[in-house]
Amino acid sequence: TGGHTTEILRLLSCLSESYSPRHYVLADSDKMSEAKIRSFEQKRAETFSESQFSLDRIPRSREVRQSWMSSVVTTLYSVLYSLPLTYKRKPDLILCNGPGTCVPVCLSAFLLGLLRIKRTIIVYVESICRVETLSLSGKILYYFSDYFIVQWPDLKKKYPKSVYLGRIV
Amino acid sequence: FRFKDSLAEELQRADLVISHAGAGSCLETLEKGKPLIVVINDKLMDNHQLELAKQLHRDGCVLYCNCSTLVETLQSMDLSALKPFPPGQPEKFASFLDKVLGLQ
Repeated sequence: TGGHTTEILRLLSCLSESYSPRHYVLADSDKMSEAKIRSFEQKRAETFSESQFSLDRIPRSREVRQSWMSSVVTTLYSVLYSLPLTYKRKPDLILCNGPGTCVPVCLSAFLLGLLRIKRTIIVYVESICRVETLSLSGKILYYFSDYFIVQWPDLKKKYPKSVYLGRIV
Repeated sequence: FRFKDSLAEELQRADLVISHAGAGSCLETLEKGKPLIVVINDKLMDNHQLELAKQLHRDGCVLYCNCSTLVETLQSMDLSALKPFPPGQPEKFASFLDKVLGLQ
């Protein structure tokens, strides 16, 4: 959604064509991100003509301020929904930055890893808005990601297993 | 106007921006090099949105007030004391990823 999409596209801006094809996963209710992504990929294709990408949608796993109990149920449903998608794409790398949408995708990839079907490297970059506290997605994926990147030093102190590279968006 | 897809044009022409503490608004304004006054909504005090605004204020990049002190802030502000906001460095992220994935 919105700010997350802008941030993640900035993260992608300096990546080489080794990071291809790119599969974007969006929440079904997200109306604005698709346009931003297409515009980004169009510009990229001007430099890298062989550039490839795809877009998939999954049900939104949690509404803002949704209760804890019902969030567990809807997230579980989203994980089950994501499994066939993650199985189909078998990504080598998952890059995410915090929207609720990323939790089920990462958990489904983690599951496929446990089942020895596909080992995916999960890289989580916490939003630049998070200076002192982690988002809920961050708190969960801190334990499931291979690399957890924060953009402010306070968070590095609180979450020592994280990586601090300064501001990267 | 109520909603527009992008405020980029208005931002380019502005000499001063007064905004809420939303991260997108703050960052877009600072990246265009415009002086920014962030107005905090007292009723949303535990909103995490404040984290970024507070940090930017600590770094001396924005002025900070609430609705009741806005006029006073406007009257006494010294915009030249605001520090520039250096851009983020996505290339550091790319380097890091290349390194850990063995792509260098």
